[in-house]
Amino acid sequence: MSEPGSGIPGGREGSSGSSSPEATIVLSSRASVSRNLSNYKFPASCSTEEKNHIINTIKNYARRTRGLSEFCFLRLSGMTKIRRQVLLGDYQIDEDFISNILGRGILLIPRHSVMEMATAVLLCWDDHIKIQSAAPHRAIGAVYSKVSEIEKLLESKLNFSFSKEWGYLTSNPAELGTALEISLLVHLPALSITPDIAEFIKNLSKVGCAVSGYDGRNAEVTGNIFRISSSRTLGKSEEEIVEEMNAICLNIVDEEEDARTRLLEKDMLGARDNVYRSYGLLKYASILSFEEALELLSILRLGLELGIIDNIKDFDYFEIINMIGDSHIISGYEMGEDATDDDIDLKRAEFIRDRILED
Amino acid sequence: MTCDFCKKNIATIHLIRVQNDNVEKVNICSECARDFSFFSEEDFYKDLSNILAKIFQSDQDTTMLNRVQKSLVDLDVKNNKSCPFCGTDLKKIKKLGKMGCPHCYNEFRRILLPIIKTIHQDIEYRGKIPGTVPRQVKLEKSISDLRNRLKKEIFVENFEEAARIRDEIKQLEKNIYE
Repeated sequence: MSEPGSGIPGGREGSSGSSSPEATIVLSSRASVSRNLSNYKFPASCSTEEKNHIINTIKNYARRTRGLSEFCFLRLSGMTKIRRQVLLGDYQIDEDFISNILGRGILLIPRHSVMEMATAVLLCWDDHIKIQSAAPHRAIGAVYSKVSEIEKLLESKLNFSFSKEWGYLTSNPAELGTALEISLLVHLPALSITPDIAEFIKNLSKVGCAVSGYDGRNAEVTGNIFRISSSRTLGKSEEEIVEEMNAICLNIVDEEEDARTRLLEKDMLGARDNVYRSYGLLKYASILSFEEALELLSILRLGLELGIIDNIKDFDYFEIINMIGDSHIISGYEMGEDATDDDIDLKRAEFIRDRILED
Repeated sequence: MTCDFCKKNIATIHLIRVQNDNVEKVNICSECARDFSFFSEEDFYKDLSNILAKIFQSDQDTTMLNRVQKSLVDLDVKNNKSCPFCGTDLKKIKKLGKMGCPHCYNEFRRILLPIIKTIHQDIEYRGKIPGTVPRQVKLEKSISDLRNRLKKEIFVENFEEAARIRDEIKQLEKNIYE
């Protein structure tokens, strides 16, 4: 089976509805490719002026290119801190991109909801160009196609550094080659509570995947969310990488579903207790931190899945976690810069109650 | 789906292994699974990932991340020199873990080769080629891809396909010099 139009095999995607078991496990898919202009130094060796020159070159080409006109351009230094942070969440950009805001820019396709595809071209990060696209649930073929389409449009005007021996040249030798990364955000609440989780992660590393927490760093895992990324860029074609990540994705779904079945068979009481404790906290807590909210919502989502709880509204875990980050709460409620953590946590608890509790 | 071992019962366990460019799928029924002396019935239901590890005992212990970090430390900077295009030297590359410009790859090719091999475990580029690259380079690349496929087909003794690929290579080689 292949996705219509994409020409990439790997199973039908995104047709199972947002509340199918697969959709509650695979939260989102992301694809990115890195490219550099030949005859320019990589961004890390450039001065801010040189980087701005590169950014302008790319921006101007994009403006004149048919098919790229829907992109709008933003300079990181011209945005407020909150706006930058909201952008990171909405477009699933790794935090490191805003660690330095001078000489960095972004071209993005504006979108209207969390559930739409988010496509952006990041300028002068590690490489001159990083084209990335993310979409909810299992959509590996679709996000790769989008990235590939934009790359082709840029390639027609810009001269990318390429070696026939090593493929596309990137500043980091570990990304050399296809410079393609496919990554998945997966929600594994049942698997996470079993001791098998360590082994599971080890096995993913063995098949060439990098595993990290929600924020894309190797930090602690919050809300039972893992980011699983492809890491090999030599020795495989783009199509093979896409196909393999799809196979790995389906395998992960199977493992989590099995873990859920075993949980129901073995520890129904424990699971029930956990779900209702989380329900109680979400219902009555006055303030909720982002991390705590993630954990509680994760267990509640599992409770819905297992049929343990039904007196709450059905919700999309991925959609809601994208709306309750600090910066989203601040901008959503139009809070001032002087908002304290407590102010934010209070609004967050309110927001979640509105979304989850039956009237 | 039937079991890969007995070809009779319905398989209840489906394992997928992806390594380098191979995707292996194994489908096993519960009866055959019990025949494997290394897993007990308890194991079987409790610990799927363990089973996966047992079937596919992998020879590589280090994870990807470790390999990248380790291999950059190994960069040999005894005969330090700088890239004539961007001025970045080997010491800086070692420290940052990043190259200075696209030309560095050519300049430091010999020193980088073993490191890239360690990071990627494969040094053959198999991805796409930009549209801007001259026709001859594209043809050369197609030929080298076909040579690799040829080797694989011979290895699995699929001589009919191998002969077809050989003819295709001959045709392309003729094209290059026309």
